Amino acid sequence: MNLGFLVGFFGVLILSHAAYSTIQYRGLLKIMEEEFSRPPINVILELIIGLALCMWAALTFPGKFLSIHPDSDENRAVSLPDNSDFMIFNHRGRLFPPEIEMKF
Amino acid sequence: MVTKTEETQLNQLENQVENGGGGVWEYMCLVRKLKVRRSEIVLKHGLSILNDSGKRSALGPDEWTLYEQVAIAAMDCQSLGVAQNCIKALQKKFPESKRVGKLEALLLEAKGMWEEAEKAYSSLLEDNPLDQVIHKRKVAMAKAQGKPSLAIEHLNKYLEVFMADHDAWRELAEIYVSLQMYKQAAFCYEELILTQPTLPLYHLAYADVLYTMGGLENLIAARKYYAATIDLTGGKSTRALLGICLCGSAIAQLSKGRNKEDKDMAAPELQSLAATALEREYKQKAPAKLNLLTSALRNLKIA
Repeated sequence: MNLGFLVGFFGVLILSHAAYSTIQYRGLLKIMEEEFSRPPINVILELIIGLALCMWAALTFPGKFLSIHPDSDENRAVSLPDNSDFMIFNHRGRLFPPEIEMKF
Repeated sequence: MVTKTEETQLNQLENQVENGGGGVWEYMCLVRKLKVRRSEIVLKHGLSILNDSGKRSALGPDEWTLYEQVAIAAMDCQSLGVAQNCIKALQKKFPESKRVGKLEALLLEAKGMWEEAEKAYSSLLEDNPLDQVIHKRKVAMAKAQGKPSLAIEHLNKYLEVFMADHDAWRELAEIYVSLQMYKQAAFCYEELILTQPTLPLYHLAYADVLYTMGGLENLIAARKYYAATIDLTGGKSTRALLGICLCGSAIAQLSKGRNKEDKDMAAPELQSLAATALEREYKQKAPAKLNLLTSALRNLKIA
């Protein structure tokens, strides 16, 4: 868990650094009075690395993913609950009280 | 609705508890959550906790829930003395409680004193006319006294008010099936499928009722619902696969003398696909019985 958290943290740091460099680059272009078409190559590379790190952290940090298939082994309904609201005590088990004498 | 993981967990805890390992309290909580009926085990081990005052006080405020659970389990196992003592303890702690009043009336039911129980329930209903549990207990009493028509009447009145209660619809369907009133049972299952369409067990029960009713349209509808069950369970329901084979052969028999208009609309591969899936499953799980299955399927296709 900790590794995922650290990696995610670094991913977010890298992304914010890339954002900051892009803003600075735009400021520089304003001084040089040029058009802003796209950020420089190193910022793009930083963005890709940040994306990869954040995605890896997002998939590993939360832990085990739950299944959503209705027929997977965890989710499939094996039996319905026995209707205990309509339970009757008049069944054949009435004639077979438990052998051990229960005291209370 | 008990899922597969919950079932394995329950069986594991049950084995652990029965063989003397700990975990009794977790078992009780799981039984309460899943609403299964395991009265003997609950009674035996619940009493072992309650008789030991150290373990009892370790539970804190949950011990009263345990008293209630053990009381109901005792009534189910016909240990009425134990049930009486549990209820007395609860009465001492919560003197004017409706919940304890319900338990007392339940004890009267278990003893077989129907009129007194009826009176107790009526007086509880006067204070709270919209109590679902008490209405259901009246239905259960009618069922226990062997008066299914009275039970059906009560249950229908209950369902007019509380239409969303799945357990009640299921109970009504089962009572109708036991009285062989299949059309009404089919209606109840249709209601259940409408409200919970993702639960394959309802589709399966509905298909069974339709197959029992017979007749060409019912058989075709039954086959559709067996197919829906197979779809929802990912092909793991043996009963639905067998249902498709049987429906197919019954439809073929019924539509032998008919014209081409009433012809069977389903794909002819459906029956053979179901048969292959069945054989594969039997080979995996019960290879000794594979011969029985293949001979039975061969008879179906010929007939």
